[in-house]
Amino acid sequence: MRRSVAGFAWLGLAAGPLAAQGVVYGAVRDPAGAPLPDAWVAVAGTALLVQTDAGGAYRIARVPPGRVTVRAARIGYAPESRAVEVAGGDSARVDFVLTPTPLPLAPIDVTTTRTARLDEPAVTSIAVISERELAGRAVNTVAEAVDRAPGVQFLDGQINIRGSTGYVQGLGARVLLLVDGVPVNQGDRGGINWDILPVDQVQRVEIVKGASSSLYGSSALGGVVHVVTRETPPGVHGRVRATAGAYADPPHPEWTFRDRTGLHGGADVTLSYGNGPFRGRFAGGARRSDGYREQDGREHWQLAGRGEWRFSPESDLRVSGAWAVDDYAVPLSWCTRGQCDDRGQAYQPFKVDTTERGAHTVSRKGYLEATFARLASARVRWQARASWVRTRFNDYRPSAVDHSVANRLGAEARLEAHPSNTRHVTVGAEAARADVESNIFGSHTQGEYAAYGESEQPLGAARLTVGARTDFLVVDGAGATAVVSPRIGAVLPGRSGAWRASVGRGFRAPSLAERFVRTTALGFEVIPNPNLDPETFWTWELGHARALSPRARMDVALFWTDARRLIEPVIVIESGVPKIQFRNLARARLAGLDLAVTASPLTSRLVGSLAYTYLHARELARDTLPERPLAFRPRHLATASADYDLAPFGVGADFRYMSRLDRVDVYPDDPRVAAKVFDLRASYRRGPLQVHLLLANALNYIYALVPRTLAPVRTVSVTLTWIY
Amino acid sequence: MTRGAPWLPLLAALLACDGGLQPAPEPSACPPGFVGICGTVRFRGSVPDNTDDVYVVAYPSFPQSPDDLFTFRPAIPPQLPLGDSIAFYLLPLEPGRYEWVLAVWKMAGTLTVETADSLLREAGFYRDPTDTTRPGVVGVPVGASADSIDFVVDFTNMRRVSDWFPGAPLPTPLPPP
Repeated sequence: MRRSVAGFAWLGLAAGPLAAQGVVYGAVRDPAGAPLPDAWVAVAGTALLVQTDAGGAYRIARVPPGRVTVRAARIGYAPESRAVEVAGGDSARVDFVLTPTPLPLAPIDVTTTRTARLDEPAVTSIAVISERELAGRAVNTVAEAVDRAPGVQFLDGQINIRGSTGYVQGLGARVLLLVDGVPVNQGDRGGINWDILPVDQVQRVEIVKGASSSLYGSSALGGVVHVVTRETPPGVHGRVRATAGAYADPPHPEWTFRDRTGLHGGADVTLSYGNGPFRGRFAGGARRSDGYREQDGREHWQLAGRGEWRFSPESDLRVSGAWAVDDYAVPLSWCTRGQCDDRGQAYQPFKVDTTERGAHTVSRKGYLEATFARLASARVRWQARASWVRTRFNDYRPSAVDHSVANRLGAEARLEAHPSNTRHVTVGAEAARADVESNIFGSHTQGEYAAYGESEQPLGAARLTVGARTDFLVVDGAGATAVVSPRIGAVLPGRSGAWRASVGRGFRAPSLAERFVRTTALGFEVIPNPNLDPETFWTWELGHARALSPRARMDVALFWTDARRLIEPVIVIESGVPKIQFRNLARARLAGLDLAVTASPLTSRLVGSLAYTYLHARELARDTLPERPLAFRPRHLATASADYDLAPFGVGADFRYMSRLDRVDVYPDDPRVAAKVFDLRASYRRGPLQVHLLLANALNYIYALVPRTLAPVRTVSVTLTWIY
Repeated sequence: MTRGAPWLPLLAALLACDGGLQPAPEPSACPPGFVGICGTVRFRGSVPDNTDDVYVVAYPSFPQSPDDLFTFRPAIPPQLPLGDSIAFYLLPLEPGRYEWVLAVWKMAGTLTVETADSLLREAGFYRDPTDTTRPGVVGVPVGASADSIDFVVDFTNMRRVSDWFPGAPLPTPLPPP
């Protein structure tokens, strides 16, 4: 400890001798006196942050002597702050009584600044999906839950935050996925395996919107999705989750493709044990689905584990990982006239072209990470992490068999410091090395080496955040491309709300697949382009969050993004032959408005929310091409939800609207419609048992978001969760 | 948010009742708003076993050499349905003049300049109404379509594309592949 304090003295962070520090302890309860477990308690202006135990108790050691502010917060309750005098070598008791609030505001954010922030407005927009929302939606993958977040839209498994990604058929995502802080985008294609982690392991999902490369580097140019897994409680615990359901039949007899109802189902079992400094859990599960269209069956197996060893109150080591295997029929493009038993129809959305019938993919993916974290003093916390992400797929088609194995090894060291009660600094270094071995991507490596730093300090009544990250990209060991990603932002808190503004630069390194792919697609040869440059975004945002009344909150943001050197597949003529190649081509502008309102009118049992995104996405003029809409970006995106809680029962509904796409790249003359999806939910909770019913796409609205690919039809799911 | 806001999902659901994709019988004329060429293809002879696909393409200028072979439009051409003796096709094109509208039969294999002559066959083309030995020129008006560009695809009478280049010997039908 003494050595640590001396080491950080240059930052003005010395906390003084141990004997001079104090302890704050107490309990967090609701107004009826019931203990509130899992509430967060922090000492403002320090790195000290803990969670209450099952009895609602907490204890914070190493508190600097003097007058400190202690904060407590829990989802579903209004946060509280208390000032207390702490004497060196003594302890002070601070109890909290948190008042329930009908608005389920997330009390903590660990993503916007890469450190935990308790009940503090951030410089960029953030949406949080809580554990309760995850359970209520009765979903099977994280993607299905994130799909309902304001400003987020999925196109056949590809995430778009404010229109960032579009649809690039799985090659490259302009959004970074983190699991407990570990980047898990694929090493070869840069895309995201949303089912890498069982959804039952997820405690919450944080979604940061806008360029975040100043802290996270490549891929974080459209935003970051951070999946935070559950803490492991002390004692022996178990959790069983079983799901079963059915898909609706096609709504028109001309589209019938099978003579029985398609079913889906699965189960997960989690066991955990915590005793003293050790805590661990292990989960396993499987799912099976017939799919909702022809050639759409899927089998999925998964394992996940997490172990923690708390050496001392200040130090802990966490090792976690997950592994999933999928065997799924490749849902080929839907059938057009003459490519199947078309029954005189111009297209058959539930059927597939028969030429590649039988195609299927076996996909294996997983990650393993170890993180050591240490609280060096009340004002300094540091951590070191090592991670390994592995993906492997084998595509079996009648015409070809493709395979790829990719690894992504990562390491990071990060330091969080609070030089004063009002100043906060984060610095770190990160390295990642991806390699691929594939018949279509070849054998290649890509290294990403980075250093970053961000400082947050007061500027008058506002809080100013300034940071930057420099990444060096090395492909196949040759040369190095440097990318600098700065960000500056400010938050101006007021009595009933806060203004925020930020400007930042994001980038995405071309994936190894985009650089080196050599295959055939749509009848054309796809040729490599090793000279691709990183694509970049400049993003600014102006936002305001405020309480409209004690029962209503609003968050509104204007955003503007200038995208350069976007990587897109284009048809090029090589030796007189048309071929497909990824090139840095488009310059685009994405501007718009995000609005989210949450309210609990009439009664605290009823909570409604409305989210709307207006997106003006244009590909700017180049060469002989005039300015035109950016492909696969909807102009309007709206989500409305309502939940009524009548314990132990609950009912809810979601409606999702996405306007008709102005432009698609392929098959532009195919029919396309707006998406209008209505979900109904019901739940029952009693003791250790939870039952959730989900009727997704209740009206069986038939639509497609990507070319010749039918979006999910009406699906009923019943999920039983038993918690010991 | 107003007092009625939580009921917005229900209201929105009512609005969602309409629309969505619907069954669409094969068209027999250019749909409104379509820009390009439409027509009916009549098949003659049986489809060869080694058929990969049959495409309809259009050339703004008649190809003069193998280097011009890949100047066809659109870049991703539509495939002709092969199940019946007659098929309606839609060929989305930019407005302009097209000198050759034809059906191209393709055998399985990777297409290059070198393999084009062995993998491709001209299987039929739109003919000049005044001289049916010659290709007919088709004009696509701005914002509109050219309908009834009908022709015959004869699988018993297909020709190498290179047979049509200037200086080539008189085109002769090939035996079925």
